[in-house]
Amino acid sequence: MRIDRTQRPWIIVTIVLFVASLAAYIVYALESPGGPSGGSAMGLTFGIAGYAMMLYAGLLGARKRVPVWRLGRAQTWMRGHLWFGLLSLPMILFHGGFAFRGPLTAVLMWLFFIVIASGIVGALVQHYIPRMMTRRVPMETIYEEIPHVRRQLLDEADQLAATICGPFDGESPAEPVLAGQGAPTATLVEIEQQDRARFREIYLQKVRPFLNDPESQATELASSRRSSEVFESLRRLLSSPVHPVLNDLENICEEEHQLSRQIRIYHWLHGWLLVHVPLSIALLVLGGVHAVMALRY
Amino acid sequence: MAGRTRTTKKLAQRINLDYFKTLHGIPRWRRILSAVFTVAGLGWLGWHGLRGSPTPYNAGPIANAHHLIAHKCVACHASKTGFQQSVTDQACLGCHDGPIHHAEQTFSPACSDCHVEHKGVLRLAATSNQACAQCHGNLAAKDKNSPPRFAADISDFDSKHPEFAPLRTGQKDPGTIKFNHQVHLKKELRGPQGSIVQLKCDDCHRGAGFEEKWPFGEAEMTPASFTPGTNLSTMLPSRAYMEPVNYMKHCSSCHPLQFDRRIPDAAPHKDPKIVYDFALKKLTEYIAAHPDQIHTVDEPDKRLPSRPVPPIPRNSQEWIANHMADAQLLLWRKACKECHAMTYPNGPDALPVITKSAIPARWLPHSNFDHEAHQMVACNSCHAKVNKSQETSDVLIPGIQTCRQCHRSGSNFAEARCFECHTYHDWSKQKRINATYTVPSLVE
Repeated sequence: MRIDRTQRPWIIVTIVLFVASLAAYIVYALESPGGPSGGSAMGLTFGIAGYAMMLYAGLLGARKRVPVWRLGRAQTWMRGHLWFGLLSLPMILFHGGFAFRGPLTAVLMWLFFIVIASGIVGALVQHYIPRMMTRRVPMETIYEEIPHVRRQLLDEADQLAATICGPFDGESPAEPVLAGQGAPTATLVEIEQQDRARFREIYLQKVRPFLNDPESQATELASSRRSSEVFESLRRLLSSPVHPVLNDLENICEEEHQLSRQIRIYHWLHGWLLVHVPLSIALLVLGGVHAVMALRY
Repeated sequence: MAGRTRTTKKLAQRINLDYFKTLHGIPRWRRILSAVFTVAGLGWLGWHGLRGSPTPYNAGPIANAHHLIAHKCVACHASKTGFQQSVTDQACLGCHDGPIHHAEQTFSPACSDCHVEHKGVLRLAATSNQACAQCHGNLAAKDKNSPPRFAADISDFDSKHPEFAPLRTGQKDPGTIKFNHQVHLKKELRGPQGSIVQLKCDDCHRGAGFEEKWPFGEAEMTPASFTPGTNLSTMLPSRAYMEPVNYMKHCSSCHPLQFDRRIPDAAPHKDPKIVYDFALKKLTEYIAAHPDQIHTVDEPDKRLPSRPVPPIPRNSQEWIANHMADAQLLLWRKACKECHAMTYPNGPDALPVITKSAIPARWLPHSNFDHEAHQMVACNSCHAKVNKSQETSDVLIPGIQTCRQCHRSGSNFAEARCFECHTYHDWSKQKRINATYTVPSLVE
């Protein structure tokens, strides 16, 4: 989600709430006989407000699980998650008087700091990277579907190659992938036998290993620039009837490159969630335990 | 041959529509890690719970004074009302007495309101100014019709604390001993046996309990240690306050009560009747031992220039009467009068009555001061008016601004919170505590 002008009302509300809370905290801290404490009326108020904001931020995950429920716009939930989640940090610091001396409270506060820090990193990543994804991965697909799509790309490439050099004996399906769905059946392009053999050799030694394992850096076509050079030299080497097939194979390889790029960007875009989400859930659960046990003592 | 195309239909056909039913990669690990962290946290709490240990819920390290009961939570968290186990005053009072602050205080805070635990290694007695300012920031007596007897708006020492009462109200020293500090601090002062001396403050003013000899007096009737008379001082070290000035210790060498040049012994510094009897006894003994002296005529005493020369005594009784008259003149009209205020309620020839000295034991009875803790500071650095003081009535305690030069808020200054000088609990009302623990129960 981009942090742009549309967020201004949320930013203003967050700043106003923060300033009001800070003013209340300063007065409370200066006038409390024993100093600020989580167990005082004011301390409890800050604690309840902070935990409520954390809960609200945490409910974003639950909201995403029921997208068809009429629970407000997803964008509103996301903005609330972002700004109330951020505001919960000063609330909790005010709650504890900027101290966390006990074992559980220390664990909670460190979890909280990590969650907030990872959330800020996530917000920045979500602000910049989606545009980069659009620019650098125009053939983007659903992340979870990438292995499935890659299998189809390999089949599609085999089918294209079969139109030049015939089915591959024992190496890959010789039949056209989409034959059963009314797609055109593979037909041999009329070229000299020498070109056919050369194409087959190049396909099996360079193109297919790359398509079979596109994440491997060992193959020659793993580099996008090198891939262009290889296909350019193939076009010079092979006769013109083969060029449309070469163009399609190059296009498939380029899609593979983009999928690899998508995986890398996706890891940047979502990797922080491996820290943010698990620690947030642990924080909410342990925070609930802290609330109950603090009332006990 | 047509080039490769990416139509929406072709792209849609590539998608496995059940892809969301199985999790892969980051979402899968997110779920696994969520479970692992949460279970680990709850497992940690559960493990302590099974052992009956509330350690995870400890709110922080406790003060040094309570380290021995650090793991006995119920020693303080004694309340057992349902789920709650809060701290009670009774738990505190089981080990410590906490006498009331003031008979007219409008409310009594809970012990833990001021002595806040679980804040680390600190003095629990180092309470915050806010604790005191709850009342003293806007002091109201129980009887709303009478104004408070103390300053009604004190919230800190830096700015709100008024000048010390004796200086603020222009009090005079009520002492009746005539004493001129300026004269006694002069250079080349005549000392014992005509020697020249320069007096220093600690020649006469020292904290109690020093074994060192006093330079201008004799250690007589000295108590082993001095506890100032007011009850608030009982929590202070014995050398906190100066010993009261005492004639025998501080004055007798330079101001001996010599009443007759034949008698080497000075008169005791006691009640006039005792002094009279002492002089009479000494003169009687002297003339009994020296009967040849009865008819001798003495040189007139320079200290009694107005005294007419008495007739030559005819017997020992007349000799004693003459010399007793001189001795009384020397004592009552010269030596004693030099310092003491005296009256003659039974006539000018009767024994005088010495007015009580009334030297204040403490000027600020509602606060504590430790002279020993300030021993590195020159006396006249604080008691600046002493060098020029000529009257007994001069109040020579330093003003609050002197204290504020060092005692101010901030990390670069000496402590300035209320507890530094004031005590909340009135320890004169302290009660004994019944033993709660045994040594094995504490160290188990």
